[in-house]
Amino acid sequence: MVESFFDKKTECLTIKIKGRFDYSCHKTFKEAFTAFNAVKYYEVNLAEVTYLDSSALGMLLLLRDHAGGEKAVIRLVHVNGVVIDTLKIANFHRLFDITE
Amino acid sequence: MEQVLTILIADDNPSDRILLKTILSQFGHKVISAVDGQDAIDKFDPQLIQLVCLDIKMPRKDGWEAALEIQRLAGDLFVPIIFLSGVVDPIALSNCLRIGGTDFISKPYSPALITSKLNAIVKLLVMQKTLEDQRDAMALYNEKLLHEQDVAKVVYENITHSNCLEDPALSTIHYGTHTFNGDVILAAYKPNGGMHILLGDFTGHGLSAAIGALPLADIFFDWTKKGFLMRQIIPEINARLKGVLPANMFCSAAFIDVKVNNKSIEVWNGGLPDLLFFSQVADKPIRLISKNLPLGVLPPDVFECQIDPMSFVPGDRLMAFSDGIYEASDLSGEMFCHSVLAPLYRGEIEPGQSLDWLTERLKQEGVLDNPHDDISCLSIRLDTNIGIDSSGHDISKGHDEAPADFSFEYILNADSLRNTDPLPYVLQILTTVPGLSSFSSQIFMILSELYSNALEHGVLKLSSDKKKSNEGFSHYYEERERRLLSLKSGYVKISVKVTSDNNDRMLVLCVEDSGSGFDYKSINYDISNTELLYNRGFALLNQLCDKLEFSKGGSTVKAHYHWHVGHHS
Repeated sequence: MVESFFDKKTECLTIKIKGRFDYSCHKTFKEAFTAFNAVKYYEVNLAEVTYLDSSALGMLLLLRDHAGGEKAVIRLVHVNGVVIDTLKIANFHRLFDITE
Repeated sequence: MEQVLTILIADDNPSDRILLKTILSQFGHKVISAVDGQDAIDKFDPQLIQLVCLDIKMPRKDGWEAALEIQRLAGDLFVPIIFLSGVVDPIALSNCLRIGGTDFISKPYSPALITSKLNAIVKLLVMQKTLEDQRDAMALYNEKLLHEQDVAKVVYENITHSNCLEDPALSTIHYGTHTFNGDVILAAYKPNGGMHILLGDFTGHGLSAAIGALPLADIFFDWTKKGFLMRQIIPEINARLKGVLPANMFCSAAFIDVKVNNKSIEVWNGGLPDLLFFSQVADKPIRLISKNLPLGVLPPDVFECQIDPMSFVPGDRLMAFSDGIYEASDLSGEMFCHSVLAPLYRGEIEPGQSLDWLTERLKQEGVLDNPHDDISCLSIRLDTNIGIDSSGHDISKGHDEAPADFSFEYILNADSLRNTDPLPYVLQILTTVPGLSSFSSQIFMILSELYSNALEHGVLKLSSDKKKSNEGFSHYYEERERRLLSLKSGYVKISVKVTSDNNDRMLVLCVEDSGSGFDYKSINYDISNTELLYNRGFALLNQLCDKLEFSKGGSTVKAHYHWHVGHHS
């Protein structure tokens, strides 16, 4: 499940994913990050993600692309357990700011 | 909802039958009458009749018996059955529904009730028809999709026909969830002996994965055949995938370069679970972790290639697997990496048995019956004879007789030494010589030995002593990289001379470097001394060439190579 919240003051879009982060989230995840225009910062809250697969990694890359690639400021927060393992194997800490 | 139905009615009472027929005909429906159950069965045509009305009590066959037979005749088609009854016994009526009746109509008939029941039935039929149409469309779509995947598979197989996965040094297991799944295992012999192996795992399955697998395999085989190094092939694959794939698609992969002449492997891991290196002298496997982003993520200008070098002794093993195994769930729902794989990582599994052991565990834990992802695993038994004398078998001897006579000089200064690998280009020119292409693997080996000696020891002044131990080996290559990066001056000159005179053909390869030379008089040419981790190059060259000549204090080495046309040596 994907929820999003845009804070106009901080210009930060928070996207929260719950449960399995896989292809089933594809549409809602894309809708979540394309719904707002004046976004400067992105925060993806993975606290309640139980599992993340390679299509989820792909979705994060889509977000990064959308947010300006190299210049994008995207934080992955509350990343734990299996999820952090998967992100590290893919070396995504070089593309995203990851915190536990 | 206005729709005209063809309705079969069966009633042994003529007046009831005529009354019902009249009511139904008034609404425009087409009615076929039967006088009893058996008559109804005889007149039932599933292609024609859309609704059946059966009286319960009839001679020969009663309504219930007829209903069962009619359902059997209808097969997959949905034909609703309505029971007609004078009784109001709830048990009898509920029995009608239990055996598959859609509804019942009590006698005496009420036209209003019949109308509303018919309307409900029409709705049901329309819904059923929509479902059937959708099902057929889906089946057709699925068939098309499978066909397209088959096409992709054929194209992929055509590109990968030069795969050498049959080599006895390799064992693989592969279980896919689709016709063309997201995992690829590629293996190709290098022209100078040894092998390139790639295990890749694309995001997605089916066609979307195939789109990336095609350029990947194409570059892998083509560039390996031409003698390019792993360090050159990986950035090329990355750039190509980045160029063709959408942003959310990439390929997690491990690239393994088995080098036989200095008994070493180089491993690049981008996004795959740790590769395991089983050394016979260690009780636990060395884990080669993913140090790179998967292929196709980074643009070429920021792509980095972090490679782990390891030296091996024949009989050591290397194992790699895709995340389908790492992330598979055991029966208790725990991930393999946390439960099942532990004994493997702890070194409790005999390395030669690891693949069988893993297959057995996958079976036991029910993963193979219901894989959630593609599963690929690769085990390499490392040896010095991998890929030796394996190439050049399929080269045509069409113009063996044409003579050739040319020479050229290729001088690489500091910037070029840093950025270019001249070997594939030199080899490319040499293999244009008729007949010489059959010996390309030997020539490439001579050339690469001479060049790496000139570059590493001559220009970069590295000492082979460093390669004595496994750690030293890694340090040696790290140091090589460092010195190469900061190289300001120096050169390597490659001179080639080809002459042919009837059946007697000669290639002279001369490699000169800017270094101060070395003590070439104390070279040990004893090739049987396989314990040496280093200094084996000249012994090998001595075997391959007719004559080795040193000059300028050892900074120039000239190799004479003789070949004959018409047969292979």
